[in-house]
Amino acid sequence: MITGSSAIIPGLLSLLQSCQQQERLSWQPQFLSQDQVGFVATLVDTILPKTETPGGLEVKVDIFIDLVFSKMYGEEAQKMVVEEIEALDIRCRGNYGASFSGISAEDRVTFLTELEGASPKYNGQVWGTAVGTQEPVGFYRTLKSLLLWGYFSSEEIGKNVLSYDPIPGDYLGCIPLSDVGNTWSL
Amino acid sequence: MGRVEGFEDKYYKGRRPNGIYIPRYVNIDQATTSEKFVRGFGYQGGGGRSGWGAGANQESFGADFKDGLMKPGPWEFFITGFGECLPYHENKVTLNKDVLDQWGQPTLAIDCEFKANEKAINKQIQEDAVDMLVRTGVKDVVGFDNEHEPGFGIHEMGTARMGHDPKTSVLNGTNQIHAAKNVFVTDGACMTSSSCVNPSLTYMALTARAAHHAVSELNKNNL
Repeated sequence: MITGSSAIIPGLLSLLQSCQQQERLSWQPQFLSQDQVGFVATLVDTILPKTETPGGLEVKVDIFIDLVFSKMYGEEAQKMVVEEIEALDIRCRGNYGASFSGISAEDRVTFLTELEGASPKYNGQVWGTAVGTQEPVGFYRTLKSLLLWGYFSSEEIGKNVLSYDPIPGDYLGCIPLSDVGNTWSL
Repeated sequence: MGRVEGFEDKYYKGRRPNGIYIPRYVNIDQATTSEKFVRGFGYQGGGGRSGWGAGANQESFGADFKDGLMKPGPWEFFITGFGECLPYHENKVTLNKDVLDQWGQPTLAIDCEFKANEKAINKQIQEDAVDMLVRTGVKDVVGFDNEHEPGFGIHEMGTARMGHDPKTSVLNGTNQIHAAKNVFVTDGACMTSSSCVNPSLTYMALTARAAHHAVSELNKNNL
């Protein structure tokens, strides 16, 4: 996807920061029920597990997702979120005998592989606008996109793992990738 | 738009200050005359490597997926067309005195559309873009037409067009309102056609010329 300069409005910036200030032990979800938190947290850990770099749960992507649903989604969208999460959990129970957070790692992989294959994709973008007619990508890919946003824009990943240079000064159009290392965070 | 193979060991730093530009090449002379439309279009474009956002579309998740997104993705390249909108007199903005705003002033009634010539230009833009990218060696080329309505281009212009005849135009050749010579309108409102290029420099030149004329007339006590 080619994106133009991404504009993050100040309200979103404070949202990103506020979930990092939240202590996990004293955390109370603002929107999700405990069962739904279990689903989202398991999804975060399956899509963005801990490797040599921090996992999604370490940078509190689950807390971020709860905040997004709570602060950014309107009533209709919130209702849809609850329905979609419950529908996915019901499918999990039917196929694997337990909710998503309770099934084996192998079954989680099988389940997500199926969802990946069945979910439409985002169209490419030119200057921040999708090209052509974008069909709805469905709940799974929307949620995955939110997970990535929360993870890669967290301070730990955005600043300490990705290449971070918010005021880069001059523009160099063709340099060795090895001079930069990881992808630019912004 | 599409994907460019190779150059995996190359990257960039900083904010790209510009892009590529393909100037108008249709209806320039006899040899380039199109039978499908009059006037023409140019392209703007650019390239870059995809970032972590590309992960949303990948049919993948887990450790390798996550670690892979730390490195920039493939190079991608796009061009996107800018076509001219012809100077249709019936594309207009008028005052709607039946619907007033919170200060009791009339609101705007905007009556504007793209017609057959603009649609034919759009079609050619897409065909040529795909053709050029494919011949350049770009892979997985996707042609597109977002069918934007007038107003999307952010450089919309016109509504107080320049002309000799006060019956068919608002401004004279030095951006003065025909009926009130001490009123100058020096932004893009004086344009009739939209042209297909970015208009800001033209606006600045027209404004400088109008200001020069105003000073000169003022010094002669004509204003």
